[in-house]
Amino acid sequence: MMAETDRTDERLEAFFEAARREPPVPSEALLARIRAEARQVKDVARPVAAPVPRVPLRARLAQALGGWQGLGGLVTATAAGLWIGYAGIADPASYGGDILGLEPVAASVELMPGTEDFAALVIGE
Amino acid sequence: MGNVVDALAEASDEALLVLYGNGDPEAARLLTARLAPVAYRVAARMLGDPAEAEDVAQEAMLRLWRLAPDWQGGAARVSTWLYRVAANLATDRLRRRRTLPLDAAAEPADERPGAVAGLVAQDRAAALEAALMRLPERQRQAVVLRHLEGLANPEIAEIMEVGVEAVESLVARGKRGLTEALAGRREELGFDDG
Repeated sequence: MMAETDRTDERLEAFFEAARREPPVPSEALLARIRAEARQVKDVARPVAAPVPRVPLRARLAQALGGWQGLGGLVTATAAGLWIGYAGIADPASYGGDILGLEPVAASVELMPGTEDFAALVIGE
Repeated sequence: MGNVVDALAEASDEALLVLYGNGDPEAARLLTARLAPVAYRVAARMLGDPAEAEDVAQEAMLRLWRLAPDWQGGAARVSTWLYRVAANLATDRLRRRRTLPLDAAAEPADERPGAVAGLVAQDRAAALEAALMRLPERQRQAVVLRHLEGLANPEIAEIMEVGVEAVESLVARGKRGLTEALAGRREELGFDDG
């Protein structure tokens, strides 16, 4: 029985061997179509995968601050602030008056009169 | 440049699929050359029809291209995945065929005029293909994957989504069916019955 099975396998193997030597081979036209589809799939996928036109960080910042004009004002104010700090001006308000030749209208302005008395009351002094 | 191409040629299917997903055109060319013949062979042997096999191979490869961005590495092999997709697409077509009139199906090759002396390996291959077409489709698929594609039973089990024992059973029954189908042709195909 076993010998018969082996013999059958041997006979079949000769057919398998013949079939392995004569495999169905795809045509070059089919391979070309498959390669073309590979390119198409990639081309379709690309716009989805890539973000829509990127706006540079500098441009986005400028836009958030009111465009280039707004940014210009900001740069000027920042430079002025830096200069004031660097020059060590004790009282910038009076300095402005000195430059422009104006008398100061008020030395200081109290925005919330009586706040100091209230604070003293709370602290209990 | 030559070194890069050489390195790609040695890369695994899985690595090439990732490269294709990242937009490498050379990877697509190599994958087509390696895998399209695999899909085509299995489909042709299951369907016995070159035109239908071409459609199946093209569809299976299209699914592979679409899968590329989502391909999960790990233990899965691209070829195993492709075998499964091609075989399932071929099975779908075989099932659709059953609803067609019988004469629309592929004609078994052993209905050809009688054999002549000196038949060679090509005739044996043709005889086997005809005998394969007479097998139930699951048995045919298992025999093709085991004895013509040379895959191991565990991989066939993965492709066919069954256990290894079921694969062994399908292959054994398939071989018995082939033996019976080829019995009358042994002599004409150069085998004596002694």
